Amino acid sequence: MTDLSRRDFLKLARAGFLWISSGLALGGLFRFLDYEPNPAPKTEFDLGPTGQFPLGSHTVLFDPPAILFHTKSGFSALSLTCTHLGCTLEQTADGFTCPCHASHFDADGNVTHGPASQSLRKLQVQITAENHVIVYLD
Amino acid sequence: MKKLLTVASGLLLLTLLFLWWWNARAPKPIELIPTLTGQPEYCLTCHADVPEISPSHPTETFGCVSCHGGERLALDADLAHSTMRGGANPSDLSVVEASCGGSNCHSGSEADDRHHIQRVITSIQSTYAGAISNIRFTFGAQTDLSAHFGIHAVTDEQTQTGFTSLAKFDLFNESNPNIQKFGENCLTCHINATPREGDAYARQTGCSACHSVGNHTYTTAIPYTQCNACHNRGNYDLRTMTFTERTDQPTSRLADYYQPIAQFTQCEYTLDCIDCHTRSEVMGDGDIHANQKDIQYVQCKTCHGTLTELPLTKTLTDPNDIAFTLAFLNPIIDLKLGDTILITEKGEPLWNIRLLPDGTYEMIGKATRQYFTFRPVMGTACEQNPAEQESRYCHECHAVEH
Repeated sequence: MTDLSRRDFLKLARAGFLWISSGLALGGLFRFLDYEPNPAPKTEFDLGPTGQFPLGSHTVLFDPPAILFHTKSGFSALSLTCTHLGCTLEQTADGFTCPCHASHFDADGNVTHGPASQSLRKLQVQITAENHVIVYLD
Repeated sequence: MKKLLTVASGLLLLTLLFLWWWNARAPKPIELIPTLTGQPEYCLTCHADVPEISPSHPTETFGCVSCHGGERLALDADLAHSTMRGGANPSDLSVVEASCGGSNCHSGSEADDRHHIQRVITSIQSTYAGAISNIRFTFGAQTDLSAHFGIHAVTDEQTQTGFTSLAKFDLFNESNPNIQKFGENCLTCHINATPREGDAYARQTGCSACHSVGNHTYTTAIPYTQCNACHNRGNYDLRTMTFTERTDQPTSRLADYYQPIAQFTQCEYTLDCIDCHTRSEVMGDGDIHANQKDIQYVQCKTCHGTLTELPLTKTLTDPNDIAFTLAFLNPIIDLKLGDTILITEKGEPLWNIRLLPDGTYEMIGKATRQYFTFRPVMGTACEQNPAEQESRYCHECHAVEH
């Protein structure tokens, strides 16, 4: 076994340092280029086939917080986000109540008890060619 | 030269390794987009274990930044906290409007009973106007007991009390050494004062002084211990004009009150302060008052009546009655339309006290949820003079011995 000269050792060390540094730098660069920011919040929600929501049904949705009605005149949806400060409403026997500040809305979304002062937002509903129910928040 | 290159490449590697390690140790960001603001914030990255402040302020709705301020996108603690309002207490009255205000929140109109901040800022607990005028009167700096000064300057253009403003009390404008000492030593306890240094005092101003009963927890079910954090904290020494903080830990509510000669009836030490004292007494009514007596008006007769009059009551017929809102915020009682509750002479609802069919009354402790029943004075052998309603008169017969 030949002894490594001081000169060769330094040369080897230098090369090793530079190779590892290059690896780290490239890794960092790839990580930077690969970064994906959080996607914008969804505004379109595919609720699945219309068959899941029979005529006469009303379905409370969690995401988005809304209630979907299927009546003879078609599908419609009301946002269940309180118009006061944005808490998610709970369904009661006679409408919807805000668990945060006790605002109350009737079954059609009209305010019956403050502090909220605006009715619940009606959401746009669309049925796709594949018979899927799409709810839009915008 | 080659030696230098080796050293430089070694340093480069060390630097890159350090940066890699530094980056790897950073926590994975947790994003929250509160419904109220719709703007992402990353506070939960470090504070995911902080409890929700109250059922009325869910984190997913309010987030952190709308109340606390701060840099919502920062992941570095110092940067994230650099623009926080009020440090650990965003409800400090110096910043409360930005933290808790807004017409939909706590600085709405008087008509919708949402002017909490205006009420608190002008309240006696905030201005300390009565004590200031008493001390100034005692030492000859003013000729009567009218309120002229508060801990901070306040104004009330629509006053019902005749006081449209209070100037800021400044001890450097006073010539009497006793008043100066009072200014130095006795103004740090009130909810609009500059908080004393130390974590123990950080939340003893603003809304938190009363409503923050635990680690990041707000409530309207305020136990007497919260009130006693200030009101049983020590005593004034009028010889030296200092406040002497007590060093013992009170264990008996009855025996360890700060005034050893104080007398109590059973309800005064069994109930919590807020079971009897109303919102306007404690938080103010929006007007500037000269002293505590001007705003504190609940007496024994408010609940017990007199020999000739039953306590005032009100039957709930309006679903929008404030009593329902208060019972919703502290759900200790299932109030219903048609229930008859007690009210004060100013019409404030004592919504936790219901008239029972047999003519007695049922009180539910706002903090303890304990049930108590009591009867009116009318028809009993009580020998009170209906005109003598201060507690000291009732203490003559009903004081509880230590």
